[in-house]
Amino acid sequence: MVMEKVHRMSNKGGAAHTRKPRITVFHCFTALEDTASLEGGDYEIQGIKMPCSSISREVFLLRAFEAGADAVVVLVCPVNSCRYVQGNIRTEKRVTRVKKILDEIGIGGHRLNMFNIVQGDEAAARRIIEQTVAELGEWGLSAAA
Amino acid sequence: MSRGKLEQTLGEGKFAVTAEVGPPRGANAEVILKKAALLKGCVDAVNVTDNQTAIVRMSSISACAHLVQLGMEPVMQMVTRDRNRIALQSDIMGAYSLGIRNMLCLSGDHQTFGSEPGAMNVHDIDSVHLIHTVKTMRDEGRDMSGYELNVAPRMFIGAAENPFADPFEYRVIRLAKKVAAGVDFIQTQCVYDMARFKEWMKQARDRGLTEKVYILAGVTPLKSARMAKYMAAKVAGITIPEQMITRMEGVAKEHAAAEGIKICLETIQELREIPGLSGIHIMAIEWEEKVAEIVKAAGLFPRP
Amino acid sequence: MIVGEQKPLEEIKAKVSGYSRILILGCGTCVKTCFAGGEDEVATLASALRLSFKLEGRTIQIEEQTVERQCEDEFIKEAATNIAEVKAVVSLACGAGVQMVASRFPQVTLLPGVNTTFIGILEKAGLFTEKCLGCGNCIVDLFGGICPIGRCAKRLFHGPCGGSSKGKCEVNPDTDCAWQLIVDHAAATGQLDKLAEYVPPKDWRTSQAGGPRKVHREDHEI
Repeated sequence: MVMEKVHRMSNKGGAAHTRKPRITVFHCFTALEDTASLEGGDYEIQGIKMPCSSISREVFLLRAFEAGADAVVVLVCPVNSCRYVQGNIRTEKRVTRVKKILDEIGIGGHRLNMFNIVQGDEAAARRIIEQTVAELGEWGLSAAA
Repeated sequence: MSRGKLEQTLGEGKFAVTAEVGPPRGANAEVILKKAALLKGCVDAVNVTDNQTAIVRMSSISACAHLVQLGMEPVMQMVTRDRNRIALQSDIMGAYSLGIRNMLCLSGDHQTFGSEPGAMNVHDIDSVHLIHTVKTMRDEGRDMSGYELNVAPRMFIGAAENPFADPFEYRVIRLAKKVAAGVDFIQTQCVYDMARFKEWMKQARDRGLTEKVYILAGVTPLKSARMAKYMAAKVAGITIPEQMITRMEGVAKEHAAAEGIKICLETIQELREIPGLSGIHIMAIEWEEKVAEIVKAAGLFPRP
Repeated sequence: MIVGEQKPLEEIKAKVSGYSRILILGCGTCVKTCFAGGEDEVATLASALRLSFKLEGRTIQIEEQTVERQCEDEFIKEAATNIAEVKAVVSLACGAGVQMVASRFPQVTLLPGVNTTFIGILEKAGLFTEKCLGCGNCIVDLFGGICPIGRCAKRLFHGPCGGSSKGKCEVNPDTDCAWQLIVDHAAATGQLDKLAEYVPPKDWRTSQAGGPRKVHREDHEI
């Protein structure tokens, strides 16, 4: 399922010259039920809902950038609160590794970030998106998007 | 062939003194002759290191040949790191033909610590195999393949032991292994930790090893508190008691070297009282001019 | 298993930069297990390369395929269709797999994407350690099941050397001294004296020193 969605994203057309920043949000549905609640700002959200954040393999995170993301946000449950025990720990390790790849490529690992949020705390999720949008103002849009 | 002076001294039950020189990083024999001249007459034999700490230097065998010409007796160090059994045996024969009568069988410092960290090591055989090989060549007149040699190299066979490396309980078993392989004499790593050294010697005596092999204790005078701290922290297999470092730190910088010599002399006196110990091996690293002073002050001069 | 490590991205990128279409060929056996060249690593590498070239305003077409084992013809023949489409293949197999692919498909340029490191084990999650040098004549019984040829930096038969300190090897202080382990095992099983025995020099003809080796099983020949 997730794989298909990422593939579909990869097949999207090229970016417009000036456009809204695009943020892909990988989230476990315990940490955040749906990204619909995050929409409405001056940005585009692409949500990838997963039963556990640890399903996000390295390549999915990279393909989000291939599909045009300017930033990728991974929302996971707080430490020790993963219903699959180590899911969020595994995700963190993967995010660290992909950040390194993004640095090597030149996209910059800072465009990919993981956050722990408490179940149902939509306000926190919204703040994370707003913060990311603000940071994108500094970084500019991704040259690989 | 006549025996060497080291073998003779030890054979007569006299306390032996050896020292060490390192060949130069270059082709100038003067360097080695100059260092050796400082040792002439005050030691029984001089070890010549074999690319020690894996830094490329003039070969041990050629530097030994220079010493022989000078009328001095070398102990040719030979490591199994750089040569396979073909080259090792060939060099042993060549060394003997050049008048070299003693050799020290070693595995050698690892190449990654030296000037050619990218080098491939050999380690076809290890130091115990080398001892066994030299003994077979000498006593049976055969090389490793069993071929009868027309003239057997009659080497006096040495090896190193480090009572301060781990695991301690195995160290004396390893010594026994070298004795069984045919070693005649042992030179140890530098003794600073006297308690541990005495314990090791006791274990060697208990196994009857001091009856079968001459043990020469290594000593290295400390030049400064910094050197003591560096060796204690960075050199694997060397232990320096805390109170010795404190003692070196306790004297003014300009007196540190003298204090180091003083400690060295006290160490030698204590070593001489250990039953079963046959001599000392002074490793005064780039400080060869101090060896004569140490030997004289220790009451070990003149040499037999 | 054979343990490998993927080459740095920069090195792989430099190797493929002259090509507009490549195949990244993974191997689903050893290098998959050590996260160097399985299906996931193929996908990640392909995506990273595409992004990297895109940043430079270039496009590269990358085919991705992972076969069960690159060291067996039975499996690599599955890659024939994809290989026919490209001029270069980045193989993420070990050195054996790379060469197998190179010899079966001589018309294509073979680029290794993995460094074959050693024969080892998965010691714990995320840690692979070397155990065997493949000397061709196993004698681990003499050392309590711990091989000093594969695990001692000086391949000592009568170790440990003077560089063994607090159970670690001076060459790699985070690596156990094999001889400390051998002695510990012997002490724990009351066999310390067995270690006093002389072990004769090894006949290295069974190792790579005797030239490339073969195992010929006529009973399996058809």
